[in-house]
Amino acid sequence: MLRVRNLKCFYGRIMAIKGISLSVREGELVTLIGANGAGKSTLMNAISGMLPGWSGEILFREKPLSGLEPPAIVRGGISLVPEGRHIFGPMSVLDNLKMGAYTVYRKQRREAVSGDMEMVMELFPILRERSGQPAGTLSGGEQQMLAIGRALMSRPKLLLLDEPSMGLAPLLVEKILNTLTTLKNQGLTILLVEQNAQAALGIADRGYVLETGRMVLQGPAADLLEDEEVKRAYLGKDYDEFYEDF
Amino acid sequence: MSSTRISDGKDPDARRQLQLERLQSTLNRAVKNVPFHRNRLREGEELGAESFEAFSRIPFMERKDLGQHYPYGLFAVPLRDIVRIHTAPGTAIHPTVSGYTKQDLSIWREALANALTAAGVTPHDILQICLDSGLANWGRDYKDAAEAIEAGVIPNTPLSIEKQVMVLRDYKTSVLITTPAIAAQLIDHIFDIDLNPTSLNIKTLILVGEAPDTEARSRMAARLHVSTWLHYGLSEIPGPAIAFECGQHEGLHVNIDHFLPEIVDPATGESLPDGEPGELVITTLTARAFPLIRFRTGDRARLIPGECRCGSDHLRMEWFGTRTDDLFSIDGVKVSHDQIGSYISGVMGESPDFTHAVRQGEGNRPYLEVRVAVDDALFSDEIKMLEAVVQNTERMLRENLGVPVQVRLRERSGEKQAG
Repeated sequence: MLRVRNLKCFYGRIMAIKGISLSVREGELVTLIGANGAGKSTLMNAISGMLPGWSGEILFREKPLSGLEPPAIVRGGISLVPEGRHIFGPMSVLDNLKMGAYTVYRKQRREAVSGDMEMVMELFPILRERSGQPAGTLSGGEQQMLAIGRALMSRPKLLLLDEPSMGLAPLLVEKILNTLTTLKNQGLTILLVEQNAQAALGIADRGYVLETGRMVLQGPAADLLEDEEVKRAYLGKDYDEFYEDF
Repeated sequence: MSSTRISDGKDPDARRQLQLERLQSTLNRAVKNVPFHRNRLREGEELGAESFEAFSRIPFMERKDLGQHYPYGLFAVPLRDIVRIHTAPGTAIHPTVSGYTKQDLSIWREALANALTAAGVTPHDILQICLDSGLANWGRDYKDAAEAIEAGVIPNTPLSIEKQVMVLRDYKTSVLITTPAIAAQLIDHIFDIDLNPTSLNIKTLILVGEAPDTEARSRMAARLHVSTWLHYGLSEIPGPAIAFECGQHEGLHVNIDHFLPEIVDPATGESLPDGEPGELVITTLTARAFPLIRFRTGDRARLIPGECRCGSDHLRMEWFGTRTDDLFSIDGVKVSHDQIGSYISGVMGESPDFTHAVRQGEGNRPYLEVRVAVDDALFSDEIKMLEAVVQNTERMLRENLGVPVQVRLRERSGEKQAG
């Protein structure tokens, strides 16, 4: 469904992504793990059209995304849940969700929008309770749910998530990730960027490991969880702990 | 680990994408972890995997590199992650040491199991593996793969030809994995002792190490009443059955989920178009411990364009059995002249002139004959001393090359004639 080939991204003269390739097949939940500064968010921004300076190839459902503006990409079926949520704080929860449907409203399909709204409320009942409240007053976890809900309002075929677990308590992380599994089971294709490698690999089908702008490993998520290199670098097992195990 | 494999019938685009992704991370890991690769693939050029065309500008890796980085210099993972270490005869003074991670072994076991399944091996079969010590690593790999498909396996054991035939008959072997030379010798012995092949259970003969000509192959098949299958592998790394025959017997399928084959002009190193014969160059796509990047195999081959009638879209190659370098092969084990020289000087303490030849021994089994010119420094008037020199040299060569060896001393003038 998504195919990236030799993507290079630049911030001015600095190359942040140095020629990476990855693919997400229809119905898959794929995770991209890597440390801070590896280029994960850069990749997300490039796919969603928010980073203009890239070269290489990004194909979505066989069509190149090169040169498309973000609204066109959203209409094409890709929706991003950005890092740090970026919800509209002063606006109500309901209005935030409506904003997510801006491409659908343009087509004058109000009924469809209210149906989608219902679906999101089903998925996150807390949003129904808080629907009139300003989004800025929600807790971190609720804000994350709102951000995901808002992204779903554009009826994406591919959902991109950038660090949805960031700053959340373990229990909430689990809840968010469970929701992703539910969405995947409903047929949504998902590309999940995470620093929390253990959690992400736990729910993903496949994974990629990005290091300083280069892909160093890929494979079935279950294999990566067992991988010594991944364990050392991303699953919080450092050399000392390894030796203690002996 | 079935998920590490892409099933047949995938669209070619998806397969190319997978190859590209694996190739890029192989290169990145190699540059990151192995100084040899880092220094060889300059920053920038390492990005040569952008396209397969750009990839073909990356410098070759050669056999001598394997020896020069003895023992662990080319490993791309910490030693702690290595779970198996193989030693194969090198082509210089040092042997080739290769390592495997747990994942490497499991991928490799699965790939080999596929090759065996393609040859019709089932859990009901009894496999006998019969290889010289130079190919002992392959014996282990085949054993693992056979066990993985739950066939019964008689692991490779150094036995005399008589004992091998006894096992073949009494243990009801149905699949024999061996080199063409050993197979020929076994068949001769079977006829010599009046054993009718009809009394044997063997039905499949898998030939490895050397590519026999069509005539020799069909002769073996006819004499032993078996179907024959050819497997191509590297004696160093990662092992046997990099390419293997399917039921059509029209070339060998390269396991392209794990290897990227290229054919290059052995003289210029230029890539040749599909279908042209040249030297086979191999890049590993999934190997973690010991990646090969554009490794020159020295084997002459060509890639066969078009799809196989078996329906698999794995690329096919024709293996000619001849070499593009000055190495020669004794029953699948690669040996160089310089290497023999360095062992001889190691034993004798100097570097006498010598010639070598591959000769047919008992039962057409090839062995290495080395004729050493005796000069004043080497000469002794005690026969015992000379015999000891011969024996020590033979032992040294046999131990390090893993092939049968015979050393003869010649007078200097006689040596000139022989050479």
